[in-house]
Amino acid sequence: MQFSVLTDNLPYLLWGAYPDGPLGGAALTVLLSIGSALASALLGLVLGIALSLARGWPHLLLTMVLGLFRAIPVLMLIFWTYFLLPIVFHINVPGVLSVMCALALIGGAYLAHSVQAGISGIKAGQWDAGLSLGMTRTAVLRHIVLPQALQMMLPSFVNQWVTLIKDSSLAYIVGVGELSFVAAQVNSRVMIYPAEIFLFIGLIYFVLCSGLGWLADRAAAYFQATTT
Amino acid sequence: MTEFQSILGQMLAPKYLGWLVDGLWLTLLLSAIVSVLSTLLGIVIAAARSSQRCFLSFPARSFLSIFRNTPLLVQLFFWYFGVSSLLPESSVEWLNTVHSLTLGPYLKLTWPSFELLCAIFGLSLYSTAYVSEEIRAGMRGVADAQRLAAAALGLNRWQGLRYVILPQAIRIALPPLLGQYMNIVKNTSLTMAIGLAELSYTSRQVEAQTLKTFQAFGVATLFYVATIALIETMGQLIRRKQRLADGVQR
Repeated sequence: MQFSVLTDNLPYLLWGAYPDGPLGGAALTVLLSIGSALASALLGLVLGIALSLARGWPHLLLTMVLGLFRAIPVLMLIFWTYFLLPIVFHINVPGVLSVMCALALIGGAYLAHSVQAGISGIKAGQWDAGLSLGMTRTAVLRHIVLPQALQMMLPSFVNQWVTLIKDSSLAYIVGVGELSFVAAQVNSRVMIYPAEIFLFIGLIYFVLCSGLGWLADRAAAYFQATTT
Repeated sequence: MTEFQSILGQMLAPKYLGWLVDGLWLTLLLSAIVSVLSTLLGIVIAAARSSQRCFLSFPARSFLSIFRNTPLLVQLFFWYFGVSSLLPESSVEWLNTVHSLTLGPYLKLTWPSFELLCAIFGLSLYSTAYVSEEIRAGMRGVADAQRLAAAALGLNRWQGLRYVILPQAIRIALPPLLGQYMNIVKNTSLTMAIGLAELSYTSRQVEAQTLKTFQAFGVATLFYVATIALIETMGQLIRRKQRLADGVQR
Protein backbone atom coordinates (compact mmCIF):
# COMPACT_ATOMS: atom_id res chain seq x y z
CA MET A 1 0.00 0.00 0.00
CA GLN A 2 1.23 3.40 -0.97
CA PHE A 3 -0.49 6.37 0.59
CA SER A 4 1.50 9.25 -0.91
CA VAL A 5 -1.04 9.30 -3.76
CA LEU A 6 -3.60 10.45 -1.18
CA THR A 7 -1.52 13.23 0.35
CA ASP A 8 -0.63 14.48 -3.13
CA ASN A 9 -4.25 14.68 -4.22
CA LEU A 10 -5.84 15.48 -0.87
CA PRO A 11 -6.99 19.04 -1.64
CA TYR A 12 -8.45 17.94 -4.96
CA LEU A 13 -10.36 15.08 -3.32
CA LEU A 14 -11.65 17.31 -0.53
CA TRP A 15 -12.74 20.44 -2.40
CA GLY A 16 -11.89 19.96 -6.06
CA ALA A 17 -10.19 22.80 -7.89
CA TYR A 18 -12.01 25.25 -5.65
CA PRO A 19 -10.27 28.63 -5.41
CA ASP A 20 -9.36 28.50 -9.13
CA GLY A 21 -12.19 26.36 -10.43
CA PRO A 22 -15.58 25.00 -9.48
CA LEU A 23 -16.14 23.46 -6.04
CA GLY A 24 -15.94 19.67 -6.10
CA GLY A 25 -14.92 16.61 -4.13
CA ALA A 26 -16.12 15.95 -0.59
CA ALA A 27 -17.27 19.57 -0.18
CA LEU A 28 -19.64 19.23 -3.13
CA THR A 29 -20.89 15.89 -1.79
CA VAL A 30 -21.73 17.59 1.50
CA LEU A 31 -23.47 20.51 -0.22
CA LEU A 32 -25.35 18.20 -2.57
CA SER A 33 -26.45 16.05 0.38
CA ILE A 34 -27.56 19.01 2.50
CA GLY A 35 -29.49 20.54 -0.38
CA SER A 36 -31.32 17.35 -1.30
CA ALA A 37 -31.84 16.45 2.37
CA LEU A 38 -33.66 19.73 3.01
CA ALA A 39 -35.66 19.46 -0.21
CA SER A 40 -36.59 15.83 0.47
CA ALA A 41 -37.64 16.63 4.05
CA LEU A 42 -39.88 19.44 2.86
CA LEU A 43 -41.33 17.35 0.05
CA GLY A 44 -41.79 14.34 2.34
CA LEU A 45 -43.55 16.46 4.94
CA VAL A 46 -45.94 18.06 2.44
CA LEU A 47 -46.70 14.81 0.62
CA GLY A 48 -47.01 12.87 3.87
CA ILE A 49 -49.53 15.34 5.27
CA ALA A 50 -51.40 15.29 1.97
CA LEU A 51 -51.39 11.50 2.07
CA SER A 52 -52.86 11.33 5.56
CA LEU A 53 -55.49 14.00 4.92
CA ALA A 54 -56.58 12.97 1.41
CA ARG A 55 -59.44 10.53 0.93
CA GLY A 56 -60.84 8.73 -2.10
CA TRP A 57 -59.26 9.08 -5.52
CA PRO A 58 -56.71 11.82 -4.70
CA HIS A 59 -55.33 9.47 -2.04
CA LEU A 60 -55.16 6.63 -4.54
CA LEU A 61 -53.49 8.81 -7.15
CA LEU A 62 -50.90 10.09 -4.68
CA THR A 63 -50.15 6.55 -3.48
CA MET A 64 -49.62 5.44 -7.05
CA VAL A 65 -47.30 8.32 -7.93
CA LEU A 66 -45.27 7.77 -4.76
CA GLY A 67 -45.17 4.03 -5.53
CA LEU A 68 -43.79 4.81 -8.97
CA PHE A 69 -40.97 6.91 -7.54
CA ARG A 70 -40.14 4.15 -5.07
CA ALA A 71 -40.11 1.53 -7.82
CA ILE A 72 -37.58 3.10 -10.17
CA PRO A 73 -33.84 3.09 -9.46
CA VAL A 74 -32.32 6.41 -8.41
CA LEU A 75 -30.00 6.19 -11.38
CA MET A 76 -32.94 5.98 -13.79
CA LEU A 77 -34.52 9.07 -12.22
CA ILE A 78 -31.21 10.92 -12.54
CA PHE A 79 -31.25 10.05 -16.24
CA TRP A 80 -34.76 11.45 -16.50
CA THR A 81 -33.96 14.72 -14.78
CA TYR A 82 -30.54 15.11 -16.37
CA PHE A 83 -31.40 14.36 -19.99
CA LEU A 84 -35.05 15.27 -20.21
CA LEU A 85 -35.44 18.46 -18.15
CA PRO A 86 -33.26 20.51 -20.55
CA ILE A 87 -35.19 19.17 -23.58
CA VAL A 88 -38.61 19.83 -22.08
CA PHE A 89 -37.95 23.26 -20.59
CA HIS A 90 -35.35 24.49 -23.08
CA ILE A 91 -33.10 25.64 -20.30
CA ASN A 92 -29.65 24.53 -19.42
CA VAL A 93 -30.01 22.72 -16.10
CA PRO A 94 -26.69 22.32 -14.29
CA GLY A 95 -25.85 18.70 -13.47
CA VAL A 96 -25.76 19.32 -9.72
CA LEU A 97 -29.28 20.70 -9.78
CA SER A 98 -30.74 17.82 -11.78
CA VAL A 99 -29.13 15.27 -9.43
CA MET A 100 -30.42 17.21 -6.43
CA CYS A 101 -33.85 17.19 -8.01
CA ALA A 102 -33.80 13.41 -8.52
CA LEU A 103 -32.51 12.72 -5.00
CA ALA A 104 -35.11 15.02 -3.47
CA LEU A 105 -37.95 13.34 -5.37
CA ILE A 106 -36.92 9.82 -4.34
CA GLY A 107 -36.17 10.86 -0.76
CA GLY A 108 -39.47 12.75 -0.57
CA ALA A 109 -41.41 9.74 -1.85
CA TYR A 110 -39.90 7.50 0.84
CA LEU A 111 -40.28 10.09 3.61
CA ALA A 112 -43.92 10.77 2.72
CA HIS A 113 -44.80 7.26 3.89
CA SER A 114 -42.82 7.70 7.12
CA VAL A 115 -44.59 10.99 7.78
CA GLN A 116 -47.95 9.39 7.14
CA ALA A 117 -47.06 6.52 9.47
CA GLY A 118 -45.95 9.03 12.11
CA ILE A 119 -49.19 10.98 11.84
CA SER A 120 -51.35 7.87 11.98
CA GLY A 121 -49.34 6.75 15.02
CA ILE A 122 -50.75 9.66 17.02
CA LYS A 123 -53.80 8.52 18.98
CA ALA A 124 -57.23 9.67 17.81
CA GLY A 125 -57.81 11.14 21.26
CA GLN A 126 -55.24 13.84 20.49
CA TRP A 127 -57.24 14.91 17.43
CA ASP A 128 -60.50 14.82 19.37
CA ALA A 129 -59.03 16.85 22.21
CA GLY A 130 -57.78 19.50 19.82
CA LEU A 131 -61.04 19.68 17.89
CA SER A 132 -63.10 19.88 21.07
CA LEU A 133 -61.03 22.90 22.09
CA GLY A 134 -62.37 24.58 18.96
CA MET A 135 -59.18 24.27 16.91
CA THR A 136 -59.42 23.70 13.17
CA ARG A 137 -58.03 20.51 11.63
CA THR A 138 -54.94 22.29 10.32
CA ALA A 139 -54.35 23.92 13.70
CA VAL A 140 -54.57 20.54 15.43
CA LEU A 141 -52.17 19.09 12.88
CA ARG A 142 -49.76 21.99 13.21
CA HIS A 143 -49.74 22.45 16.98
CA ILE A 144 -50.61 19.04 18.42
CA VAL A 145 -50.09 16.17 16.01
CA LEU A 146 -46.98 17.14 14.01
CA PRO A 147 -44.74 18.09 16.97
CA GLN A 148 -45.32 14.64 18.45
CA ALA A 149 -45.17 12.81 15.13
CA LEU A 150 -41.95 14.49 14.00
CA GLN A 151 -40.13 13.24 17.06
CA MET A 152 -41.16 9.68 16.29
CA MET A 153 -40.17 10.14 12.66
CA LEU A 154 -36.64 11.35 13.39
CA PRO A 155 -35.00 7.92 12.92
CA SER A 156 -36.57 7.37 9.51
CA PHE A 157 -35.55 10.87 8.41
CA VAL A 158 -31.97 10.19 9.42
CA ASN A 159 -31.94 6.80 7.69
CA GLN A 160 -33.20 8.47 4.55
CA TRP A 161 -30.53 11.16 4.78
CA VAL A 162 -27.79 8.55 5.18
CA THR A 163 -29.16 6.88 2.05
CA LEU A 164 -29.12 10.27 0.38
CA ILE A 165 -25.44 10.88 1.14
CA LYS A 166 -24.66 7.48 -0.36
CA ASP A 167 -26.88 8.06 -3.37
CA SER A 168 -25.24 11.41 -4.06
CA SER A 169 -22.33 9.30 -5.37
CA LEU A 170 -24.52 8.47 -8.39
CA ALA A 171 -23.88 12.01 -9.64
CA TYR A 172 -20.69 10.39 -10.91
CA ILE A 173 -22.65 8.83 -13.78
CA VAL A 174 -23.66 12.22 -15.20
CA GLY A 175 -20.25 13.77 -14.62
CA VAL A 176 -20.92 16.01 -11.61
CA GLY A 177 -17.58 16.52 -9.87
CA GLU A 178 -18.47 15.24 -6.41
CA LEU A 179 -16.37 12.90 -4.30
CA SER A 180 -16.81 9.68 -6.30
CA PHE A 181 -16.25 11.50 -9.57
CA VAL A 182 -13.02 13.18 -8.53
CA ALA A 183 -11.88 9.88 -7.03
CA ALA A 184 -12.45 8.11 -10.35
CA GLN A 185 -10.67 11.01 -12.07
CA VAL A 186 -7.63 10.76 -9.80
CA ASN A 187 -7.72 6.99 -10.20
CA SER A 188 -7.62 7.13 -13.97
CA ARG A 189 -4.84 9.73 -13.88
CA VAL A 190 -2.62 7.85 -11.44
CA MET A 191 -3.65 4.38 -12.62
CA ILE A 192 -1.66 2.30 -10.14
CA TYR A 193 -3.18 2.90 -6.67
CA PRO A 194 -6.91 2.25 -7.04
CA ALA A 195 -7.25 0.30 -3.77
CA GLU A 196 -5.77 3.13 -1.69
CA ILE A 197 -7.91 5.77 -3.39
CA PHE A 198 -11.24 3.97 -3.04
CA LEU A 199 -10.50 2.85 0.53
CA PHE A 200 -9.89 6.48 1.43
CA ILE A 201 -13.03 7.66 -0.37
CA GLY A 202 -15.00 4.93 1.41
CA LEU A 203 -13.59 6.20 4.70
CA ILE A 204 -14.77 9.77 3.98
CA TYR A 205 -18.29 8.53 3.19
CA PHE A 206 -18.18 6.31 6.28
CA VAL A 207 -17.31 9.27 8.49
CA LEU A 208 -20.08 11.39 6.92
CA CYS A 209 -22.77 8.69 7.20
CA SER A 210 -21.93 7.27 10.60
CA GLY A 211 -21.36 10.80 11.91
CA LEU A 212 -24.91 11.69 10.92
CA GLY A 213 -26.19 8.50 12.55
CA TRP A 214 -24.29 9.31 15.74
CA LEU A 215 -25.73 12.85 15.83
CA ALA A 216 -29.23 11.44 15.38
CA ASP A 217 -28.72 8.99 18.25
CA ARG A 218 -27.66 11.87 20.48
CA ALA A 219 -30.69 13.91 19.40
CA ALA A 220 -33.03 10.98 20.06
CA ALA A 221 -31.51 10.48 23.52
CA TYR A 222 -31.91 14.18 24.22
CA PHE A 223 -35.59 14.16 23.23
CA GLN A 224 -36.15 11.04 25.30
CA ALA A 225 -34.64 12.77 28.30
CA THR A 226 -36.73 15.93 27.90
CA THR A 227 -40.05 14.16 27.37
CA THR A 228 -39.85 11.63 30.19
CA MET B 1 -48.01 20.41 -30.08
CA THR B 2 -45.29 19.75 -32.61
CA GLU B 3 -42.82 20.11 -29.80
CA PHE B 4 -44.62 17.49 -27.79
CA GLN B 5 -44.56 15.17 -30.77
CA SER B 6 -40.87 15.69 -31.30
CA ILE B 7 -40.28 14.62 -27.70
CA LEU B 8 -42.51 11.59 -27.91
CA GLY B 9 -41.63 10.80 -31.51
CA GLN B 10 -42.08 7.30 -32.82
CA MET B 11 -41.45 4.03 -31.09
CA LEU B 12 -37.98 2.51 -30.91
CA ALA B 13 -36.90 0.18 -33.71
CA PRO B 14 -37.07 -3.55 -32.83
CA LYS B 15 -33.30 -3.74 -32.85
CA TYR B 16 -33.03 -1.25 -29.98
CA LEU B 17 -35.89 -2.85 -28.08
CA GLY B 18 -33.86 -6.05 -28.38
CA TRP B 19 -30.91 -4.33 -26.69
CA LEU B 20 -33.16 -3.24 -23.84
CA VAL B 21 -34.59 -6.74 -23.44
CA ASP B 22 -31.04 -8.14 -23.30
CA GLY B 23 -30.29 -5.57 -20.60
CA LEU B 24 -33.42 -6.57 -18.67
CA TRP B 25 -32.39 -10.22 -18.87
CA LEU B 26 -28.98 -9.46 -17.33
CA THR B 27 -30.62 -7.29 -14.65
CA LEU B 28 -32.97 -10.14 -13.72
CA LEU B 29 -30.20 -12.74 -13.73
CA LEU B 30 -27.92 -10.58 -11.59
CA SER B 31 -30.77 -9.75 -9.17
CA ALA B 32 -31.68 -13.42 -8.76
CA ILE B 33 -28.10 -14.52 -8.08
CA VAL B 34 -27.49 -11.64 -5.65
CA SER B 35 -30.79 -12.27 -3.83
CA VAL B 36 -29.93 -15.92 -3.21
CA LEU B 37 -26.33 -15.23 -2.16
CA SER B 38 -27.21 -12.33 0.13
CA THR B 39 -29.96 -14.35 1.83
CA LEU B 40 -27.59 -17.26 2.54
CA LEU B 41 -24.82 -14.98 3.75
CA GLY B 42 -27.40 -12.86 5.58
CA ILE B 43 -28.47 -15.83 7.69
CA VAL B 44 -24.85 -16.40 8.73
CA ILE B 45 -24.31 -12.74 9.59
CA ALA B 46 -27.64 -12.52 11.43
CA ALA B 47 -26.75 -15.57 13.51
CA ALA B 48 -23.30 -14.16 14.27
CA ARG B 49 -24.69 -10.72 15.09
CA SER B 50 -27.20 -12.07 17.62
CA SER B 51 -24.61 -14.35 19.22
CA GLN B 52 -23.69 -13.76 22.86
CA ARG B 53 -20.06 -14.34 22.04
CA CYS B 54 -18.06 -11.20 21.41
CA PHE B 55 -15.70 -12.74 18.85
CA LEU B 56 -18.73 -13.57 16.69
CA SER B 57 -20.90 -10.50 17.18
CA PHE B 58 -18.14 -7.89 16.90
CA PRO B 59 -16.99 -8.82 13.36
CA ALA B 60 -20.63 -9.01 12.28
CA ARG B 61 -21.31 -5.55 13.73
CA SER B 62 -18.27 -4.08 12.00
CA PHE B 63 -19.27 -5.68 8.72
CA LEU B 64 -22.76 -4.17 8.95
CA SER B 65 -21.46 -0.75 9.92
CA ILE B 66 -18.86 -0.58 7.13
CA PHE B 67 -21.09 -1.88 4.35
CA ARG B 68 -24.15 0.14 5.33
CA ASN B 69 -22.30 3.42 5.70
CA THR B 70 -20.43 3.55 2.39
CA PRO B 71 -21.98 3.99 -1.06
CA LEU B 72 -22.45 0.93 -3.23
CA LEU B 73 -20.78 2.73 -6.12
CA VAL B 74 -17.55 3.21 -4.16
CA GLN B 75 -17.68 -0.42 -3.02
CA LEU B 76 -18.06 -1.56 -6.62
CA PHE B 77 -15.14 0.63 -7.71
CA PHE B 78 -13.07 -0.79 -4.91
CA TRP B 79 -13.74 -4.39 -5.93
CA TYR B 80 -13.40 -3.67 -9.62
CA PHE B 81 -10.34 -1.40 -9.74
CA GLY B 82 -8.83 -1.91 -6.30
CA VAL B 83 -8.84 -5.64 -5.84
CA SER B 84 -7.54 -6.35 -9.31
CA SER B 85 -4.53 -4.17 -8.49
CA LEU B 86 -3.91 -6.06 -5.25
CA LEU B 87 -4.25 -9.56 -6.69
CA PRO B 88 -1.22 -11.18 -8.31
CA GLU B 89 -1.07 -10.46 -12.01
CA SER B 90 -1.49 -14.04 -13.17
CA SER B 91 -4.80 -14.49 -11.34
CA VAL B 92 -6.19 -11.25 -12.78
CA GLU B 93 -5.28 -12.45 -16.23
CA TRP B 94 -7.02 -15.75 -15.53
CA LEU B 95 -10.14 -13.91 -14.33
CA ASN B 96 -10.19 -11.70 -17.39
CA THR B 97 -9.83 -14.41 -19.99
CA VAL B 98 -12.85 -16.35 -21.18
CA HIS B 99 -13.12 -19.86 -19.85
CA SER B 100 -15.72 -22.22 -21.08
CA LEU B 101 -16.67 -25.72 -20.22
CA THR B 102 -18.41 -27.79 -22.86
CA LEU B 103 -20.78 -30.37 -21.48
CA GLY B 104 -22.14 -32.47 -24.29
CA PRO B 105 -23.13 -31.05 -27.67
CA TYR B 106 -25.63 -28.43 -26.43
CA LEU B 107 -24.64 -27.28 -22.99
CA LYS B 108 -21.73 -24.92 -22.79
CA LEU B 109 -20.89 -23.16 -19.55
CA THR B 110 -18.93 -19.95 -19.84
CA TRP B 111 -17.08 -18.42 -16.95
CA PRO B 112 -18.63 -14.99 -16.36
CA SER B 113 -16.76 -11.82 -17.25
CA PHE B 114 -14.72 -10.03 -14.60
CA GLU B 115 -17.33 -7.24 -14.57
CA LEU B 116 -20.13 -9.67 -13.79
CA LEU B 117 -18.07 -11.38 -11.08
CA CYS B 118 -17.32 -8.03 -9.44
CA ALA B 119 -20.96 -7.01 -9.70
CA ILE B 120 -22.15 -10.24 -8.08
CA PHE B 121 -19.52 -10.06 -5.37
CA GLY B 122 -19.94 -6.37 -4.56
CA LEU B 123 -23.73 -6.32 -4.71
CA SER B 124 -24.03 -9.48 -2.62
CA LEU B 125 -21.87 -8.09 0.18
CA TYR B 126 -23.70 -4.75 0.15
CA SER B 127 -27.15 -6.37 0.11
CA THR B 128 -26.19 -8.86 2.82
CA ALA B 129 -25.73 -5.94 5.19
CA TYR B 130 -29.42 -5.08 4.71
CA VAL B 131 -30.89 -8.56 4.28
CA SER B 132 -29.22 -9.88 7.45
CA GLU B 133 -30.80 -7.15 9.59
CA GLU B 134 -34.26 -8.12 8.31
CA ILE B 135 -33.55 -11.77 9.07
CA ARG B 136 -32.30 -10.85 12.54
CA ALA B 137 -35.47 -8.87 13.18
CA GLY B 138 -37.42 -11.96 12.09
CA MET B 139 -35.39 -14.15 14.45
CA ARG B 140 -36.14 -11.80 17.33
CA GLY B 141 -39.83 -12.13 16.47
CA VAL B 142 -39.71 -15.86 17.19
CA ALA B 143 -40.63 -16.49 20.82
CA ASP B 144 -37.70 -17.48 23.01
CA ALA B 145 -39.68 -20.49 24.22
CA GLN B 146 -39.19 -21.99 20.75
CA ARG B 147 -35.43 -21.99 21.22
CA LEU B 148 -35.76 -23.49 24.68
CA ALA B 149 -38.20 -26.11 23.38
CA ALA B 150 -35.74 -27.06 20.65
CA ALA B 151 -32.98 -27.37 23.23
CA ALA B 152 -35.25 -29.48 25.47
CA LEU B 153 -35.85 -31.84 22.55
CA GLY B 154 -32.10 -32.39 22.39
CA LEU B 155 -31.44 -30.36 19.24
CA ASN B 156 -28.12 -28.59 19.35
CA ARG B 157 -27.81 -24.88 18.77
CA TRP B 158 -27.32 -25.17 15.00
CA GLN B 159 -30.16 -27.68 14.56
CA GLY B 160 -32.46 -25.49 16.62
CA LEU B 161 -31.64 -22.56 14.37
CA ARG B 162 -32.00 -24.57 11.17
CA TYR B 163 -35.21 -26.50 11.92
CA VAL B 164 -37.06 -24.38 14.49
CA ILE B 165 -36.07 -20.72 14.50
CA LEU B 166 -35.23 -19.98 10.84
CA PRO B 167 -38.40 -21.35 9.19
CA GLN B 168 -40.49 -19.14 11.45
CA ALA B 169 -38.13 -16.17 11.23
CA ILE B 170 -38.11 -16.17 7.42
CA ARG B 171 -41.89 -16.25 7.46
CA ILE B 172 -42.08 -13.23 9.75
CA ALA B 173 -39.37 -11.39 7.81
CA LEU B 174 -40.84 -12.10 4.39
CA PRO B 175 -42.45 -8.69 3.67
CA PRO B 176 -39.33 -6.65 4.53
CA LEU B 177 -37.17 -9.24 2.77
CA LEU B 178 -39.14 -8.79 -0.43
CA GLY B 179 -38.57 -5.05 -0.03
CA GLN B 180 -34.84 -5.76 0.10
CA TYR B 181 -35.06 -7.91 -3.04
CA MET B 182 -36.72 -4.95 -4.76
CA ASN B 183 -33.81 -2.79 -3.60
CA ILE B 184 -31.43 -5.36 -5.08
CA VAL B 185 -33.16 -5.08 -8.46
CA LYS B 186 -32.87 -1.30 -8.29
CA ASN B 187 -29.26 -1.42 -7.10
CA THR B 188 -28.15 -3.56 -10.03
CA SER B 189 -28.44 -0.34 -12.07
CA LEU B 190 -25.20 0.88 -10.44
CA THR B 191 -23.18 -1.89 -12.04
CA MET B 192 -23.32 0.07 -15.28
CA ALA B 193 -20.53 2.17 -13.75
CA ILE B 194 -18.15 -0.80 -13.95
CA GLY B 195 -19.28 -1.55 -17.51
CA LEU B 196 -21.85 -4.28 -17.08
CA ALA B 197 -24.42 -4.10 -19.90
CA GLU B 198 -27.54 -4.33 -17.74
CA LEU B 199 -30.78 -2.41 -18.26
CA SER B 200 -29.59 1.09 -17.32
CA TYR B 201 -26.44 0.68 -19.38
CA THR B 202 -28.35 -0.44 -22.46
CA SER B 203 -30.93 2.34 -22.04
CA ARG B 204 -28.11 4.86 -22.01
CA GLN B 205 -26.64 3.17 -25.07
CA VAL B 206 -29.96 3.22 -26.95
CA GLU B 207 -30.41 6.87 -26.00
CA ALA B 208 -26.99 7.75 -27.36
CA GLN B 209 -27.59 5.83 -30.61
CA THR B 210 -31.14 6.92 -31.40
CA LEU B 211 -31.37 10.26 -29.54
CA LYS B 212 -34.87 9.15 -28.55
CA THR B 213 -34.38 10.11 -24.91
CA PHE B 214 -37.99 9.74 -23.86
CA GLN B 215 -38.53 6.31 -25.41
CA ALA B 216 -35.22 4.80 -24.31
CA PHE B 217 -35.61 5.75 -20.65
CA GLY B 218 -39.36 5.22 -20.79
CA VAL B 219 -39.05 1.58 -21.83
CA ALA B 220 -36.28 0.93 -19.30
CA THR B 221 -38.34 2.56 -16.54
CA LEU B 222 -41.34 0.43 -17.50
CA PHE B 223 -39.20 -2.71 -17.28
CA TYR B 224 -38.03 -1.76 -13.79
CA VAL B 225 -41.53 -0.91 -12.60
CA ALA B 226 -42.85 -4.19 -14.05
CA THR B 227 -40.13 -6.18 -12.25
CA ILE B 228 -40.88 -4.48 -8.94
CA ALA B 229 -44.62 -5.02 -9.48
CA LEU B 230 -43.96 -8.70 -10.16
CA ILE B 231 -42.11 -9.10 -6.84
CA GLU B 232 -44.92 -7.25 -5.07
CA THR B 233 -47.54 -9.55 -6.60
CA MET B 234 -45.52 -12.61 -5.66
CA GLY B 235 -45.35 -11.35 -2.09
CA GLN B 236 -49.14 -10.86 -1.99
CA LEU B 237 -49.70 -14.39 -3.31
CA ILE B 238 -47.31 -15.92 -0.78
CA ARG B 239 -48.92 -14.00 2.06
CA ARG B 240 -52.38 -15.12 1.00
CA LYS B 241 -51.24 -18.73 0.85
CA GLN B 242 -49.70 -18.37 4.32
CA ARG B 243 -52.91 -16.92 5.69
CA LEU B 244 -54.92 -19.79 4.20
CA ALA B 245 -52.48 -22.34 5.63
CA ASP B 246 -52.71 -20.67 9.04
CA GLY B 247 -56.50 -20.82 8.83
CA VAL B 248 -56.44 -24.57 8.26
CA GLN B 249 -54.11 -25.16 11.17
CA ARG B 250 -56.05 -23.19 13.73
